[in-house]
Amino acid sequence: MKNRLKVLRAERDWSQAELAGRLDVSRQAVNAIETGKHDPSLPLAFRIARLFDMRIEDIFDDGELP
Amino acid sequence: MIWKAKPNLGPGEARTRQRQRRYLAYLAVGGVLGGITGFLTGYLDKGDGNLLAGDWDALALEPGLALFLAAMLLIGFLAVPLWGFAMVDELKREHSLVAYTGSSLAVLAAFPVWAVLHAGGFVPPPHAPGLWLVAFVAMIASYLVARWRL
Repeated sequence: MKNRLKVLRAERDWSQAELAGRLDVSRQAVNAIETGKHDPSLPLAFRIARLFDMRIEDIFDDGELP
Repeated sequence: MIWKAKPNLGPGEARTRQRQRRYLAYLAVGGVLGGITGFLTGYLDKGDGNLLAGDWDALALEPGLALFLAAMLLIGFLAVPLWGFAMVDELKREHSLVAYTGSSLAVLAAFPVWAVLHAGGFVPPPHAPGLWLVAFVAMIASYLVARWRL
């Protein structure tokens, strides 16, 4: 699943460790999500969306929407 | 300087470092418990057996020490992993689930395969330490696959 996490993080000048701490996950988890190796759970996706004050579908793209 | 401290850590980075310290403490506790258990088993064993060499039935311990070691092993192999399971995030939990699944499947397959090969005269009969070793090696291998491939 594609996502804009890396771009959103860079816009705020946050390191992976900074974002990981704000989401209460490991830095490795942030890296795995950014590189598309791990799809976050729904609760984590909601935490990410709330942190960036966006909707989940504005951050994650499963390629199904037209 | 090998390690340089960052003077202005954001709240997220500080929390990440706290998580890393907690994880290192978890590993240290596991290592200390394992070291104590292994040392006591080897140093105070009255028989000629070895827990890993296949002649574990020749192992002889004082009853009190045996109970203590059994408690330590339960803590090390059951309580600490369960506690760790609750501490880690969803990515590491997923890696652990892959590892435990690989371990379980390996044991489920290993015993009948080993028994059939023994029936055919290829290998000695299945024994508990061997099956434990299969489970352990499969768990480590599965974890490494999950860690670097998934």
